[in-house]
Formats: sequence, structure tokens, C-alpha cells
Amino acid sequence: MLRGEDEDASELKIGEDFLKAKCLMNSEVAILLEHRYDQMKQMSGDSTPLPQVFEKSLQYVKCFSRFTNQGSVKQVREVLSRYQLAEFELAVIGNLCPETVEEAKAIVPSLKTKGRGHDDEAVERLLNDLLMIKKFE
Amino acid sequence: MFLKTELQWNVVIPAESLDAKGLMLQKAIVIRLLDDFSKRKATKDLGYLLALTTVEKIGEGKVRQHTGDVLFPVTFSAISFKLFRGEILEGVVHKVLKQGVILRCGPIENVYLSSSKMPDYNYVPGENPIFLNDKMSKIEKGVTLRFIVIGAKWLEAEREFQALVGLHADYLGPVS
Repeated sequence: MLRGEDEDASELKIGEDFLKAKCLMNSEVAILLEHRYDQMKQMSGDSTPLPQVFEKSLQYVKCFSRFTNQGSVKQVREVLSRYQLAEFELAVIGNLCPETVEEAKAIVPSLKTKGRGHDDEAVERLLNDLLMIKKFE
Repeated sequence: MFLKTELQWNVVIPAESLDAKGLMLQKAIVIRLLDDFSKRKATKDLGYLLALTTVEKIGEGKVRQHTGDVLFPVTFSAISFKLFRGEILEGVVHKVLKQGVILRCGPIENVYLSSSKMPDYNYVPGENPIFLNDKMSKIEKGVTLRFIVIGAKWLEAEREFQALVGLHADYLGPVS
């Protein structure tokens, strides 16, 4: 378990367990939580209040989802997966949708690490692919 | 960051509920698990526990000697939310104070952005206090900010996290 002081997401130092855990984009979480919400409403009706943590998270992901269509969300994951990104990096890019290569490298600093093969051209292609999906949503 | 992890918890079924067999027992176990899950709220390692997505496996029950209850090890997948130091994400301004701003991000209500971490922004007091920079960029209640996480603290007693964030890097700040 990584000690608090060693943790640094900008260098992808988030602990082995988390590097292997699946990181979900806000859009994916929105779909999952909405589904769960419908299930819970069905099971308990309108009387039982939902856990605060659940309600706030649902509100947040609905607000901060870049892609609303289930098909597009799947496409985003598929497309980004072709670029040898860590789960964490993929989710951050899917959430913030950087527009330029410079912005992408600023919000996902671990991309700049030498030897990872993410030259500017590759990042540019990645961003264009994202833009295409957004355009045709 | 929202995470999907596989967990294994022990679910205790009281002796009275054990008349049911097969599917009814399975249902009782899942209901108990869902209940335990929502009561937990958050853990230091996983962050806030949001939703259980699938039950992968229910192991063999072990009888607890003195109570007659049965303990079932259950493997399941769940979604949680945790803030990592160095992570960049977005949140909404909830309160503006002279010392800085309080944001909400996901299930976390206490995300603190100190004025010392808001380069070039100055506090403007008033009925609706705001922070303003010389490019007329405004930070006020309801504004979405993109920030970097400086640190997150787990408060054992309240079972919640507090986070410290900053705007002191490129491409951070108000998002239109």
C-alpha cells in the first residue's frame, strides 16, 4: 500500500492496486448509476431515500459527462484503448476532453514520460479521434 | 476518479433466516450485502462506496459457533470514488470565503481551494463575494473549476474525506 506522501497521479504513482483497478469515466458511471437508480426505485418505491453519497455522485456524473449516448461512450473507451494508455490516463482524458496536444500533456503529465512512445503526433491523433466521436454523437 | 474494483466481504445471515433454501437464501444474502454496503459509506482505501454492480460469487457458509448465524464470503464488484494526489478534475464552487473557496466534487462536499493556490486571483467582498483576476475571469458560487488535487485526508470519525486542491498549473481554473 502506497504511503500518502509517495502518491502522485501526475506520475501515475497511485498504488499497484489502483493501477490494476478499472478506472471509469464520468459518462460510464452515469450510465451505471442511472441504471442502479431505476432498479432501486423499482424495488423500494419513492419512500426510501437514497444514500447521500449515491445521490451526489449521480448528480455529479450527469453534470460532468462529456458523452451522453451509450454507443458513443463505448466507442470512446474502444478508441482510447488503442493508444497504450493506463486506465487512469484514459479516464482523465475521457473526462476532460482536452482540445490540444499541449492541454492533454498538461492534464495528463504522465504522458510526457520518456520512452512511452506518445509523441505529439500520436496524441494529436488521439484527440482527433475523440473529437470525431463527439461530433457524431 | 471513479473506480471499479472487486471486493470480498463477509455477510452474516442470522439463524432465523436460514429456513430459506436456494434462491431465497441467495436473495437474503444479497439484500444483507446491499444493506452493509450502503451503511459503510466510505473506506480509507477505496474512497466513497457508491454502488454495487454485480455479485460474482457467494462462497460456502460457515456456522458461527455461539450464535448459530452463518457467515458467507461474497465476492462482488463495486464502484467507488477516490481523489488521488496529482489528479486533475472538475468541481463546482459552493462557497466563497476570504481565505479561499469550497468546492463540491462527486460525493465530496469539502474540497478546499486556498486563495494562496489561486495565482493572480483576488478576493472581492460583497453580498455575493467573488474572486477576480486581471483578465476579468470570475470565480463565484456555481462556477465550475478545473483543479489539481494537492492532498486528501481521511477522517475516521466522520467516515469521509477532505481534500485540498489548487489552480497553480496550466489549463486549470474556471471552465465555461
